[in-house]
Amino acid sequence: MAPTLGKRKRITRDELEQPSRPPSPSSASSESESDSEDVQDIFRRAFEAKFKPLEVDSKKPRVEEVNLELEDQEEEDSDWSGITSDEEEQVQVVEYSHLRHTGDRASKAEQRAFMSSKPPTLSGSTLFKTRPSTKAPADENDLTEASHLKNDVALQRLLRDSHLLSSTSTSGTSTPTLSAVGSQRHKSTDLHLLSLGAKSSIHAQKNMPMSHRIGISAKAKEREERRRAEAKENGVILEKERRAKKFTKERERGVGGPGVGKFRGGTLSLSKKDVRDITSSGGGRGGKGKGKRGRR
Amino acid sequence: MTDETTQTLLKFTGHRHLPSRLLLSTLTGRPIRISQIRPNNVSRQGLQPHEVSFIRLLDSITNGSKIEFGMSGSTLVYRPGLITGSAEGLGASGGVLRHELGRGCEGRGVSWWIIPLCILSSFSKGHMNVIFHGEGCVTGAHPVSGDLSVDSVRTAILPLYKQFGIERDIELRVLKRSCAPSGGKSAGGEVQIVFNHQVRLPKTLHLLNPGRVKRIRGVAYAIGVGGSNNARSIESARGVLNKFVPDTYIFSDVSGAPFIQTPNDKNNPSGKKKGAVGFGLSLVAESSTGCLYSADVASPPEGGTTPEDVGRQCAYQLLEVIQQGGCVSRSAAETVFCLMAMGSEDVGRIAMGRDVIASENTIQLGRDLREFGGAGWGFRDKGEGSEEVVVSVVGRGVGNVGRKAV
Repeated sequence: MAPTLGKRKRITRDELEQPSRPPSPSSASSESESDSEDVQDIFRRAFEAKFKPLEVDSKKPRVEEVNLELEDQEEEDSDWSGITSDEEEQVQVVEYSHLRHTGDRASKAEQRAFMSSKPPTLSGSTLFKTRPSTKAPADENDLTEASHLKNDVALQRLLRDSHLLSSTSTSGTSTPTLSAVGSQRHKSTDLHLLSLGAKSSIHAQKNMPMSHRIGISAKAKEREERRRAEAKENGVILEKERRAKKFTKERERGVGGPGVGKFRGGTLSLSKKDVRDITSSGGGRGGKGKGKRGRR
Repeated sequence: MTDETTQTLLKFTGHRHLPSRLLLSTLTGRPIRISQIRPNNVSRQGLQPHEVSFIRLLDSITNGSKIEFGMSGSTLVYRPGLITGSAEGLGASGGVLRHELGRGCEGRGVSWWIIPLCILSSFSKGHMNVIFHGEGCVTGAHPVSGDLSVDSVRTAILPLYKQFGIERDIELRVLKRSCAPSGGKSAGGEVQIVFNHQVRLPKTLHLLNPGRVKRIRGVAYAIGVGGSNNARSIESARGVLNKFVPDTYIFSDVSGAPFIQTPNDKNNPSGKKKGAVGFGLSLVAESSTGCLYSADVASPPEGGTTPEDVGRQCAYQLLEVIQQGGCVSRSAAETVFCLMAMGSEDVGRIAMGRDVIASENTIQLGRDLREFGGAGWGFRDKGEGSEEVVVSVVGRGVGNVGRKAV
């Protein structure tokens, strides 16, 4: 029983201290006390009928009385009755010594695994096996290592975005910060994506009127040309001009088109190569389609 | 084929170790002649029905085998063919070979056929899928001959193949359970073995640390008798084993007695007859390094044994097998040694208990292997204060002839 604070009736203490004793005629007992002891007695008898008789504890009533007297004095002094201690309470220890089987039934999953027609796997029940934790408890070395890595990543990002940040600082509207915010953040994300291999920028507009697109590309071209011209005048060497690659892939032929040559203006024209392919296919070349190069 | 017939016959005598000799002959391709098979036994001279049945099985899973019996059945000449598995046209239909174990085969458990068949299957050209059925098919442990139950084969023998790199598509289905019959009755079990993982060469095995037993599993089976028999045998087995290994679970399987078709019986117009009844227990202990120990006890055909006795006896038997030590128990020694001997030309090592090595079957297997052209086994004490012996087995490096081209 937990220690209780505050004022209580004496009876309770009495009950606690002699839980299994028959009411002794010597002790002065009040009405309610005897009542509760009767109840105790009933419980005790019921218990004893079911299990073996309880041992009568060996405490002497004399000590009890002294205790009571002491308590009486205390109660007269003040309302505070103190913290009860349960040291004197006899705890009955029941030892259940019968051999118990730990979990008489295996789980359904395990039963299915074992009783199936397949041979059970060695060191079988992976279901219950806890995965061995690969991470050792992080020691200081690891922590510093992790923080280094984090800083490294942050620095790289900063270097990549530095020109974006510098543009804000020159605009003067906002104080220069090291972290991108707002539209800067979007631009930075875009750059990151491009560096990771995105096909096109997320800011590139997909659909627009043709006139707009032509205008934009023309403007870009003009700007580029101007830049190159200026650089040339000033003797600055720029990077090599990258021309858009011409589409050199084989044209998709329609169904029913000629298998060889070009059909143009109502005539099938064969190139020299085509002719050579046709004439040489019978003899000199060996296997069928093996060493054959060309379109088909 | 001509050079095979001119190959000299290896000569053996006696009926003992017949399956292992036939097995080695088939694996190595050496023809053998076994003479003096029970020559002086008046009532049971020559080959017995179960032995004939085994030869029939070999005949149906191989292509080109030649078998010759002497007049009295006391002489046998066997020229092995190629192990083709349950290929179509050689007795198999629909990829499944149905092998009947007729009357007279009930003196052995079906594991007597299955264990050598599994060893052969791993060196087969094609897949192996065999159903054993018939009046002589005993799936439970055999109390007379001491053969394992199919549950032990599945849980203690088949997992060993994994250590040789043979692990996929292996199944042992018990379609109908049965137990050893007494006189006049028949067993009538049905077992299907599927062995679809064929290898060119089994891996070299190095198994030196038996570890410590960490868990025990088991199957209790009751055939045609009440399921309470299972509960009782499980209870008593656990009573013995739980003290040593708390992780002990034994599963129960209750099935009715199998019906056996008897079409031409005047007294029994329904044409069906009940098979033998009984119960048994199969226990498997697994060590921390994956070594397996098994024990098997079944009620005797004449009855009169309590399930408690069966459970307790089985538990004690398991403890005895564990006590013998080593990485392989006696019942699995043949499988392990055969696979090691057929492995790549490399030295495999395995730690074994002295009692396991000293058993008659193991020693004879070693001698036979040498007869068939294998290198002898090397023995040395394991040391480190253990009683075990380390056996070194050199593989032949020939492996699966049927899968040479693969």
